[in-house]
Amino acid sequence: MNPADPLTPRAAALFQESVDANAARTSRVFAWLMVGQWLFGILIAALWSPYGWAGKVHSVHVHVWAALFLGAAISSLPLFLTLTRPAATPTRFVVAVAQMMWSALIIHLTGGRIEAHFHVFVSLAFLAFYRDWRVLIPATLTVVVDHLLRGIFWPESVYGVLNPEWWRFVEHAFWVVFEDVVLILACVRGVYEQRVMAMRQAEVEAKSTALEEANGQLERSREALAKLAEVGQLAASVGHELRNPLAAVRNGLAYVTKRAKDPNVNAQSLAQDPNVQKFLGLMDQELEASSKIIGDLLEFARERPLDLRPCPLTQLVDEAVSLVPPKPNVTVVNDVSDQTPIPLLDKENFRQVLINLIQNGMEAIPSGRAGTVRIRAEGGGALPWHISVADDGVGIPGDALSKIFQPLFTTKTKGTGLGLAIVQGKVKRHGGSIQVRTELGKGSTFHIELPGAAAPASSAA
Amino acid sequence: VKFPRGRAAALIAGWMALASGGMVAFAWYGGRAGDAASAPAQWPAASHLRLDAQRPTLLMLAHPKCPCTRASLAELARLARRLDGRAALHVLFIHPDGTPTQWERSDLWSQAQAIPGVQVEADPNAEEASRFGGETSGQVLLYAPDGRLAFAGGITSSRGHEGDSPGADRIFEWVTRGATALATAPVFGCPLHDPAPREKP
Repeated sequence: MNPADPLTPRAAALFQESVDANAARTSRVFAWLMVGQWLFGILIAALWSPYGWAGKVHSVHVHVWAALFLGAAISSLPLFLTLTRPAATPTRFVVAVAQMMWSALIIHLTGGRIEAHFHVFVSLAFLAFYRDWRVLIPATLTVVVDHLLRGIFWPESVYGVLNPEWWRFVEHAFWVVFEDVVLILACVRGVYEQRVMAMRQAEVEAKSTALEEANGQLERSREALAKLAEVGQLAASVGHELRNPLAAVRNGLAYVTKRAKDPNVNAQSLAQDPNVQKFLGLMDQELEASSKIIGDLLEFARERPLDLRPCPLTQLVDEAVSLVPPKPNVTVVNDVSDQTPIPLLDKENFRQVLINLIQNGMEAIPSGRAGTVRIRAEGGGALPWHISVADDGVGIPGDALSKIFQPLFTTKTKGTGLGLAIVQGKVKRHGGSIQVRTELGKGSTFHIELPGAAAPASSAA
Repeated sequence: VKFPRGRAAALIAGWMALASGGMVAFAWYGGRAGDAASAPAQWPAASHLRLDAQRPTLLMLAHPKCPCTRASLAELARLARRLDGRAALHVLFIHPDGTPTQWERSDLWSQAQAIPGVQVEADPNAEEASRFGGETSGQVLLYAPDGRLAFAGGITSSRGHEGDSPGADRIFEWVTRGATALATAPVFGCPLHDPAPREKP
């Protein structure tokens, strides 16, 4: 990093931010100072010269009125600007002029005491807090003009003599300029340091961003590895799950093959053999079960980027309901209003989420009685979406509740145990979360929360 | 708050005019001298103050409540140090009729008393002040040992303003170098006497 190099756009923005923050901070100090000096001026005048006298007659001293009204006039605009436009350049120029006017006023209110003249030098030092050497110019000019005019019209009030040499104001201004030089160097140094800080911060930010990206990649790789490990375990489990249906298919096939090879059996009698019919049906059923297991496994393992598009929820729920095999005793109610704002969703993914939840809800309702599965949605816009699938089935037992989202966990006789694991994975990839509330004998509600108008956190994945 | 550029410039210009105008008026007030003394050219014989025969006598006429006189006394203290006993120093505080007892014993009285070598006295009904033609608080009169008036004026540079002043320099020069001409300087302070009653139309 070379401080002489031009600033990068980020460093330039940080530098400007730092300059503005410093200006605003200094302006706030001056806002207090403008009020403080005004009160101080009034106090000094009230204590030091409360009355003017003529013999035994007295009236309020001109100093009191001057402190009150002239002081208010001097402080008014800088106070207004420091409160409303603290970082603006004209504000600090006005402050500079006002501060030096206050120096002159306080010097006169305190009877021209030598000690009061330090106000000039302290004020210049205060103005240097802006770290903008230009503010010292109007401040110094105010001092010079004040001395010049007093030197012309009331020379003895400044120089103590009636006919001072023309250059006497230069002598007075010299000490102010001398301090200016020191303060200008301090300002330039201060700005240089702000610049260096901005460049360093920009560099750190750039490195931090790169580090965050690398971390993100690492995290994604870790997740992929974890997924692969999970899939490996699943493959072993699925292999185990597939063994039974395949054994049943093999048995059936062996029987059918044996019968087909029997020379005494013709095609007609083979087709009419009730055992052959039974075995063929069993084989079809077992192959269907195997296909479901493999399909779910693929669905669970699949990692493709989300394709987020505006996706009206009412229609999506209707589609999902139409794809779930109906049960005569179960009514599925789509309670999602057409007025619900349209979320950004991966349609295929989220439809699968709804299908799995609706199917689960339907299966939770015993065949012996009627039941309802109800889908609701609310929120949207700036608020998060809340989508729920509620059934009035048997509910989930407490010991199973903590495991329902684990892969391969199932309480059903014919389930792969991947349905809810798939649901949770897809909801998470949409940047959302899923929770379940259940009561034995009364039913369960699966509650999905998705982020509001903002794009889902993992949408780019 | 956003201002159009022209309106902001007008606002700043208006403020500059107001504040500068106030400062000029205040400076004008500070530089406005009080009425000069019409001091007798010779030490008035009727005065109960004693003229020093060995060295010049310096007399300051002061109002005990006048804030501007604080600077005059501060300058008198400085002048006293410079003169180092080469002049007899008196400060007379007026005590107008109708004011309470010890009305003149103000902080200025204490300030004057703290100046080494200065004799501080009250001036009942401002009789001595009138005798010496004093009009304004802080007025200083310097009489030579032979009773001749050497200086009449103030020793501050403006109203209530400490610092170098032409009056103090002239007194110092007169005492140390023995100039002959009468020197004067403007005086800044409160009137010593009550305002004259306005004449009814």
